[in-house]
Amino acid sequence: MEFSIRAANVEDCRDIARMIRVSRHVRTYLEQDGFSKNPFFHGIVAEVPEHVLFSGHTKIGYALYFYSYSSWTGRAIYMEDLYVMPEFRGKGIGKALMSKVAQLGLAAGCNQLNFTVLDWNKSSLDFYLSQGCFDVTEKMGYHCIRCEGEALEHLAQP
Amino acid sequence: MNFRVRAATKEDCKEISRMIMELAVYEKMSEQVEISHKELERDGFCQNPFFECLVAEVPEEHKSKEGCTVVGYALYFYTYSTWRGRSVFLEDLYVMPEFRGNGIGKGLLCKVAEVGRKKDCVRLQLSVLDWNTPSRDFYAAKGAQDLTVSEGWHFIRFDGQNLENLANEAPKDL
Repeated sequence: MEFSIRAANVEDCRDIARMIRVSRHVRTYLEQDGFSKNPFFHGIVAEVPEHVLFSGHTKIGYALYFYSYSSWTGRAIYMEDLYVMPEFRGKGIGKALMSKVAQLGLAAGCNQLNFTVLDWNKSSLDFYLSQGCFDVTEKMGYHCIRCEGEALEHLAQP
Repeated sequence: MNFRVRAATKEDCKEISRMIMELAVYEKMSEQVEISHKELERDGFCQNPFFECLVAEVPEEHKSKEGCTVVGYALYFYTYSTWRGRSVFLEDLYVMPEFRGNGIGKGLLCKVAEVGRKKDCVRLQLSVLDWNTPSRDFYAAKGAQDLTVSEGWHFIRFDGQNLENLANEAPKDL
């Protein structure tokens, strides 16, 4: 299937929000947080030509990423979201998006591409492992820890 | 013990690099440290820094056996959740063993949370080794949740040749 991948721009936020399935309210945050002076994230979108339209959408997948850092190995890239609309799966679009994130990371001097996956999500886990990644939690024992809401407010008291 | 937490400067990078190695030794992974103070200087103090850092400093009269007054650090960067928005990821939190038990670790952690809040971050995330009970207890006591245990989240990574191979398969730019 013919498709192309390009950098997301602010006009893509409507379609990205649609694919994330979030409210208009959060779309405003996407525009502000991804497309202002010091963006918190970057995006790439996968598009199909007009004549392959499904429900009028030509943007049928996306990946959101940002730069991170390992105090041991330096610059890294983190893939926050990878998504392809169900009717467009099995055509290499997800793989192409992920490869593009890897390429962008290497171009920026990164030597790791990191992301998270739920342990019960076997199909995703198998896909990623087949592409050559490894499970850091399994292999090295790192756990994901999060502080939010009241606990975070309390911590942030001066 | 009297201490202060302040933003790191480029000149602090040698001390931060020293402590990064001490933390790696504690985590039993010192052979994995590949970068030096040079990369920290380049990546933390450029136009679009990859990270920010706080250091904890004690007065001269409390300096360490080796003469260090910079005795702890917290290295963090901003991240994003498409569901919740702006977040902070605490990459490293470390206090030299002889200075522990004085609230320095807590002081650094709280300062990171405060910095994050000023930027409207709604989450503070980090990773901790499963066998590191003192650290796991420290964060749990502050109200943090272990998402690997509670929800099954795993960290996944591509590096080295596998990352190169993946990048080589990216579609050619038009």
